[in-house]
Amino acid sequence: MDFDPTLFIDLFAHTFTYWWVIIPAIFLGLVVGAIPGFSAANTIIILLPLTLAMDPEMGLVFMVALYASSRMGAGIPAILVNIPGTAGAAATPLDGYPMTRAGHGHQALAISFVSSTAGGLLTTIIALLAMPWLSQVAYYLHSVEMIVVMLFGISLIASIAAKDTLKGLIAGFFGLMIGSIGADVIYATPRGTMGFLELYDGVPLIPALVGLFAVSEAFIVIEQRSIMSAEGQKLMEEAGWAETWQGVKIAASKWWHITWTSIIGLIIGVVPGAGAGIAAFVAYQQSRTFSRTPEKYGTGHVEGLVAPESANNGVTSGTLVPLLVIGIPGGATAAIMLVVLQYHGVTIGPDLFLTAPNLAYGPFAAMAVTYALLIPLIMPLARYMSKVTVVSTTYMTPLIISFTLVGAFVSRSYVFDMYLALAFGLIGYIARKTGYHVAAILIGVILGPMLENYFLRAMRMSQNDITVLFSSTLGNILWVALFLSIGIPYVLEYRRKRARARALRGEAPAGGK
Amino acid sequence: MSDQPTSEKPAKKQIGGELVIPVAGVIFALYYFSTIIDSPFEAQVSAFFVGSILILLVAVFLVKSAISVIRGDAGLGLDVLLSARAFLPKRLALFVLTIAFIIVVEWGGFTLTTFAFLTLAMLLLSDGRNLKFILILAASLAIGGYLLFIVGFHTRFPFGPFEHLLGRVL
Repeated sequence: MDFDPTLFIDLFAHTFTYWWVIIPAIFLGLVVGAIPGFSAANTIIILLPLTLAMDPEMGLVFMVALYASSRMGAGIPAILVNIPGTAGAAATPLDGYPMTRAGHGHQALAISFVSSTAGGLLTTIIALLAMPWLSQVAYYLHSVEMIVVMLFGISLIASIAAKDTLKGLIAGFFGLMIGSIGADVIYATPRGTMGFLELYDGVPLIPALVGLFAVSEAFIVIEQRSIMSAEGQKLMEEAGWAETWQGVKIAASKWWHITWTSIIGLIIGVVPGAGAGIAAFVAYQQSRTFSRTPEKYGTGHVEGLVAPESANNGVTSGTLVPLLVIGIPGGATAAIMLVVLQYHGVTIGPDLFLTAPNLAYGPFAAMAVTYALLIPLIMPLARYMSKVTVVSTTYMTPLIISFTLVGAFVSRSYVFDMYLALAFGLIGYIARKTGYHVAAILIGVILGPMLENYFLRAMRMSQNDITVLFSSTLGNILWVALFLSIGIPYVLEYRRKRARARALRGEAPAGGK
Repeated sequence: MSDQPTSEKPAKKQIGGELVIPVAGVIFALYYFSTIIDSPFEAQVSAFFVGSILILLVAVFLVKSAISVIRGDAGLGLDVLLSARAFLPKRLALFVLTIAFIIVVEWGGFTLTTFAFLTLAMLLLSDGRNLKFILILAASLAIGGYLLFIVGFHTRFPFGPFEHLLGRVL
């Protein structure tokens, strides 16, 4: 796996010749990413007859392009209509949707596109160059370390709860409790399933996403003619290319933010099973922690949109690292790619880099080319996509309800999942109306079961010795980082308050009578 | 959209609605505990930990709320939950339509049920105006969905008479 610039230049040039495969895959990925219930993994499964018929290199290019663009597609409805297409985009509406409501929908889209593309491209290049080292990350992140990583994401509940801590924590722990539904991983004991067999595998994420975000929002927005404020509507009607360009410039000015949050995504993506949902929440939480204006998060703050979008695209390249280096897929889509490669008789592992470098490095080249093509293809569409927000809620609400409910059905083909989405919609509606944050509930539902799995695994391996949680050096470093990241905002806020108080005291004599 | 004006006195904050989520959380946590009481330690530990914290948080919230009510600062009305009362009938009707959609879609199929739901829900929200436009829009969306998801992506959407019939023709 030595670095050979000629090989990479040839590889990128060669991958560009597949533009006719990549472009349709990009549009397909954008569509399936944007629809809740669909995902790159589902679509690749549906299209297996096609990809299996292609030669392995072309099939891989197609799958990678679809995978990368679906990640970006998931952010579009999250920003425009508060419906995250996948769990990876669940943190996107926190600041993306308030921007839309204020009439900055297409600016938000432009910011999201640039963050996603830059984050994805950057992490692809890093993954390509640092593959031997990155592949080791999974060896160092065991159950104990992953527990702390999960807690980073879960601690976002505390940040979200900043305005009303008690309500935020109640919502978060309620979500964690709901996330605990299902059979436990060791004894398969059904817990809290209310007798529904459909819940034995736990609470499916898509109905939870659809219900908490889309259905609950749909029942609330009928009170207004449009999802936007009157001022926002005026802004949207007057908006043109200048606003799109403004969005690009705003995102470009956040290059450092994009860089480090996408690297968070890359590292989390390397860990098999971790996923974009965790990465997005952890990146959002970290972004807020180190922000000078944490109080602006959740109100349509640019950094709150940049962080999750960069991170979830960072995951995309991360999931390919363990797949190609050690043959362990980092996620569902990578697992299907493995199946396709194996069907063609390709043996994954370190030898592949010597025997077939085109196949081994190819996915990263395809990803880089996809991201390079995404911006010119999608950016001009931002202005038109955002027009969906001016559609009257009279027509938008029934459309959202019917299509998202059927989307909840798709992943498992259980009618039960549609009822579940409606139940989550009811919970979301009550939560929104009474000041509980639906994102806090969702964080619990998404991260709760993962946290429990890692916790049980750690306990099992240590024979129920709780001190195992503090038994590794890396784990302990992460614990310290976790406590610091929870504590720092309070310290900073305290210092800011003191500074403000000092400033007021200092200004009083001059300004006073 | 606003509620009826009340008296000259500043209205009490009504916190009854805010109690729904905490109370539901506690009821669910207690039910959850009942399902794991005889389970092995590993199946209990996480839920008991999370559930206990939830119950503790809710207890604090209830005490705070009770103090507010006793002091006369707040009432137990559901005003927050039922705000925008003018939309309540529409919202309930839409909820009933949604349940009907889920019941019917299983045997009615995606296309016909979506068409019917879109038409009825849009008519409901538009107070019966624009019937022609709504019919055309609902039909276009339902058929567009059929072509994209079922014909294009071969998605496992619910099948009904329309899908079966066209499945034979196409």
